[in-house]
Amino acid sequence: MIERYLHELAAELSSVGIRGAQRRRILVEVEDHLRESGEPGRFGDPALIAARFADELATSGARRLGFAVVAALAPAALVYAVLFSFSRPGPDITSARTLPVGIAAALAMVLAPQVALAAGLLSAARAWHTGTGSSAASIGVLRRRIAVALGSGVVALAAISVYAYEYGAGLPGWQQTFVFLAAGAAVVPVAAGSVALARTSQLRPQAQGPAGDVFDDFAPVIDRFPLGLRGHPWRFCLLFAGAIAAVVLIAGGPDEGPRNAVLEFAAACAGFAAFGRYLGLRPSRARH
Amino acid sequence: MRAETLKGHLDFLLLAIVADEPAHGYRIIEELKRRSAGAFDLPEGTVYPALHRLEGSGLLSSSWASASGRRRRVYQLTARGRRALAGARRDWRGFAMAVEAVVA
Repeated sequence: MIERYLHELAAELSSVGIRGAQRRRILVEVEDHLRESGEPGRFGDPALIAARFADELATSGARRLGFAVVAALAPAALVYAVLFSFSRPGPDITSARTLPVGIAAALAMVLAPQVALAAGLLSAARAWHTGTGSSAASIGVLRRRIAVALGSGVVALAAISVYAYEYGAGLPGWQQTFVFLAAGAAVVPVAAGSVALARTSQLRPQAQGPAGDVFDDFAPVIDRFPLGLRGHPWRFCLLFAGAIAAVVLIAGGPDEGPRNAVLEFAAACAGFAAFGRYLGLRPSRARH
Repeated sequence: MRAETLKGHLDFLLLAIVADEPAHGYRIIEELKRRSAGAFDLPEGTVYPALHRLEGSGLLSSSWASASGRRRRVYQLTARGRRALAGARRDWRGFAMAVEAVVA
């Protein structure tokens, strides 16, 4: 009877993505328990136990990664900060070895870090209130945010390396060497985060419930905001994009400020339109 | 007592039991039943995911031990778990006193 229960539990654990050493440990613990109690019937339905394990392990794994992704991206941010601090004004945009490649790299250098930053902060915000009782859909949103943050981090590091190569003639020699070495080092924590995400994504949590959106992530702030943002994702988007554009306008000065502010506003709205549902910024029609 | 009622307090109860001495899963569940005079009698298997979670969040640590020729996982409180337990005890006593003052 105990063997049959363990066999069923092993199958259920596999079906929710718990395999390898984790599954072996659970089975050894359960076998010890059942041999001592002698009552498999009191232990609970194997499907229920496996689902609880999947919920707990998936929640804690995604939560940890939700915070860790910010740390994993920090070295990449440092590479950008060093390059931009020492190369202003940058080289002439038309001086690339291969112009289309140079322009694509420069464009990716503008967009990818911003997407990585936004997705990373959204991951941390969702991780903050992820815990026991979080739904499978909510965990899914957190995992997607982490994936986008890490993916954008890789793109950002690749873009800055290509940029350093393409515009090498216009950069001091040490900067090109620094970017190659530092980007190579900075990709290590991003790759480690990607491996951890792939591992934890094998778990299939079962808890029912809504995925939540950005209004849930920042409820304490949003609910105090006077404009009644909750339930109005596009109003939120316009306000957020406007705030970023204002910062860019001030930082850019009279020459570059207005142009950069318009581009930033448009990019923020485009990003919201493209990633809004995928990253749980606005309510999903399909997943609830 | 309904399992749902217990759900929000399970972590606190598990930490309190392990605080006295390291214990394996079956012992923890039996102790939970004994101390509550049978009131906390939940599906035994549901305690293990909670133990794994508490270990994952650094409140418990665990190691293998051997008993009756079997391997078993023994859980003990970490320093962080001890601090968390002290905070949960304070919160609970304050809450229980407030409820008692209202309903008595």
